[in-house]
Amino acid sequence: MSNCGYIPGMKKLSSPAVILVSLLGLALFATACGDGDGSDGSITLYSGRNEELIQPLVDDFIDSTGINVDVRYGDSAELALLIQTEGDNTPADLFISQSPGALGLLAGEGRLATLGNDLTSLVDEGFAAGDGTWVGLTGRVRVIVYNSDLVDEADLPSSVLDLVEPEYAGRVGVAPANGSFQDFVTAMRNELGDDATRDWLVGMAQNNSPNYPKNSPIVEAVGRGEIPMGLVNHYYNLRAVEADPSVASENHFLPVDDIGSLVIVTAGAVLSTSESSESAESLLRFLLSDHAQTTFAEQTQEYPLVAGIAPPANLPSLDGYAAQTIDYDLLGDGLLGTINLIRESGIEQ
Amino acid sequence: MSSSTLNSSTQDSENGVSHRSEAPSRRPPAAMLALSVLVGVVFMGPFGYVVSRNLDLGTDLGSLLLSQSTWDPLRRSLRLGFAVSASTAVIGTSLAWLTIRTDLVGRRIWRILAPLPLVFPSFVGATALIAGFATGGLVEDLVSPLGITDLPDMKGFRGSWLVLTLFTYPYVYLPVAARMASLPPSLEESARLLGRKPLAVFSTVVLPQVWSAVLAGTMLVFLYTISDFGAVSLLGYSTLAEQIYADQLFDQARSMGLALILGVTALCVVTVERALERRRARVEVTRSQDPLIVPLKGWGIPVLIAVAAFIGNALIGPVAVLGFWAWRGLTADIDSVGLGIDFGALVEPALHTAEVGLITALAAIAVVLPIAWLTGRYRSRVAGAANSMVVAGFALPGVVIALSLVFWAIDAPIIGRWYQTLPLLIVAYILHFGAQASRAAHVAVEAVPDAYSDAAATLGASRSRRFLTVELPLMAPGLLAGAGLVMLSTMKELPATLLLAPIGFDTLATEVWGAGERGALAQGAVASLALVAVSSVLTWAVVLRRFDVH
Repeated sequence: MSNCGYIPGMKKLSSPAVILVSLLGLALFATACGDGDGSDGSITLYSGRNEELIQPLVDDFIDSTGINVDVRYGDSAELALLIQTEGDNTPADLFISQSPGALGLLAGEGRLATLGNDLTSLVDEGFAAGDGTWVGLTGRVRVIVYNSDLVDEADLPSSVLDLVEPEYAGRVGVAPANGSFQDFVTAMRNELGDDATRDWLVGMAQNNSPNYPKNSPIVEAVGRGEIPMGLVNHYYNLRAVEADPSVASENHFLPVDDIGSLVIVTAGAVLSTSESSESAESLLRFLLSDHAQTTFAEQTQEYPLVAGIAPPANLPSLDGYAAQTIDYDLLGDGLLGTINLIRESGIEQ
Repeated sequence: MSSSTLNSSTQDSENGVSHRSEAPSRRPPAAMLALSVLVGVVFMGPFGYVVSRNLDLGTDLGSLLLSQSTWDPLRRSLRLGFAVSASTAVIGTSLAWLTIRTDLVGRRIWRILAPLPLVFPSFVGATALIAGFATGGLVEDLVSPLGITDLPDMKGFRGSWLVLTLFTYPYVYLPVAARMASLPPSLEESARLLGRKPLAVFSTVVLPQVWSAVLAGTMLVFLYTISDFGAVSLLGYSTLAEQIYADQLFDQARSMGLALILGVTALCVVTVERALERRRARVEVTRSQDPLIVPLKGWGIPVLIAVAAFIGNALIGPVAVLGFWAWRGLTADIDSVGLGIDFGALVEPALHTAEVGLITALAAIAVVLPIAWLTGRYRSRVAGAANSMVVAGFALPGVVIALSLVFWAIDAPIIGRWYQTLPLLIVAYILHFGAQASRAAHVAVEAVPDAYSDAAATLGASRSRRFLTVELPLMAPGLLAGAGLVMLSTMKELPATLLLAPIGFDTLATEVWGAGERGALAQGAVASLALVAVSSVLTWAVVLRRFDVH
């Protein structure tokens, strides 16, 4: 007992512990050497859009300009919160978001720089912020996804407003907590007013419309036949069909003048705190180039927003939709109102 | 060394409860106390952030507390929390006993498999459950030829309870199994010699000795359940945590108000648990060379079937669904659209995953050990308060923890320079998962008998030498169980990794998430399977090898 040499387990404990401690020390000091602060021709992008899609374009940009870009990928809402929390010391020079709502929030807090007119004028008026704080990069159309085994195409509604009818009770999946749905409701408020929007939401609630957390689970549920229909963005189902061509889900595009076929943009913005705003703007300009816009259309089958670029194959042209301009400025401050309308309607189950 | 006489002091003749006789001269070492206070203050960070945000946003807590739209989700959180706690306490404890203390067939394999379901991110588990059991799902495809069409509805409370039970019982299993592996066999032997049946031995002898480990694990399950977002949102059960996420961007005042309510709820539960725990007996452990193995006899086969069925559902079920997606990805021609499988892209994330898992596990144990030591050996109230902060932090959603670190670190001198580097990411993990290490360390410290250390002191061994050569080896199984929990949780962590990792530092969890976001089920499935594989190897290497005492 005196030297305690007989404690079992002691020998086993020591060697991995030593290795782990060395590993810890090594890792800590290897990464502690800070990287540059972005003013040396290197910019930092926070991207709410997927790496698979964005990184090849960013690589092309680096190759053609020599400007280095570090990209942090994440969820749009959480990256917006990150920028908000980081405040003036944010390492980010620019931010690409899945929906304009998150950008509206940051614009409202003065976190976004005003973009040059040459940049915002590349897209139609409705597809950039009125105050020039962000510019749309691609468009996604709201559609009704339906199961072709369960629903006859002829029985599909011609307006999203029809979905409050009793015949659709329990049959249309919605994602009230999802950004796209909230953007759609905000647009509806903008177009039809709060009263009509409230009536529609309450109607959907009284129809016991099944709830899902976001778009893709709705598309999967429709594909399985769990529900016959759902309200989503157009490209989720295109992806689902590519992954499994036998799936029975299909997109139903509503008429271009119906509020149910709102175009929701993904958008980019430069931060007001960026010390490399020119480089950041040049990346946004690159993402609006013919090359990048064509890539978006081909890779994710999203709508290019720059005139003259062909829409994704087999999809209706966006031409008609352009007439339907939405005041996206409402999407920032207006979203709290939207969320309250959604909450009070009882559509969330 | 395998003497079993040392533990006879744990049973008191009057009430079956004995507390350490504490000499009045025993004072906690000042340095350790200072360290505990420091750790406690750091762990207050997330709470401080939530309070500060509430003040900034001017949250109207009064009307929030009076609102039905607050009470409904709070009630659902508590209902789910208690239900999952109850089921995991029973299942985790039973599995630990069966795999460690009986002659269950294949128990060495079960021991490796049993902790693994913890590694599934809850959204993966829920997605697999939905794909399996929902209308038109894989199970329906399998059983419909047999005429079975009416599968149970897995949405809402039932599905959330099932998923969380299947994926969180290891919080109970690991600490209880560690405790059972180091329990002295003498009492059980006596009980058996007196003719008690195995079940009676379990309930009257084993259970009282492992109770503190059961309580510790159940606490973690409860806190995890009320903080979970992934499973409940997919399964449509709107808890407080789900509302915190839903409102995080556009109704920040409500979101932060609800986060405060969640945090205070957790602190209350932790305080109550501590009060319960303080009144319980200490059970000292020995390093027994020869633990008692209970023969299951005629029960062997039915018990084997039950264990196989349960672990099958928790582990093999999700793995099968993931395997199906991976197989479909390998056989379908979808490479062209970025939906195919890229094995090469997973090598670096797998290494990163192992790296952060191991480092965080070790660091978390080191950070919480002083607190556990002071609360266990000295009943220090200061350390007890620090411990409550460590444990209750586990109930806050991951993104709140991550943002709190941003909030405190970004403008801070010196620390700010480490922002979005690996060290601060590890700090975020420890802030989130320190509770798991803390509860396990607490149980381990409580179980170390004074006798050895006192004997060594009498013989002139220094304090640090006694700690390293006597006490640490005795605590090793318990500490490693805690390390294993932290490791498994860290390897699947998402929000802090996305926000705080060095740019380009991908892990398997971020790969699973990224693949899911772009609808690449096959790649997501392969990444999930890689996560399970890496976890199994590490869990075995770090933790489970040491349970194998015979």
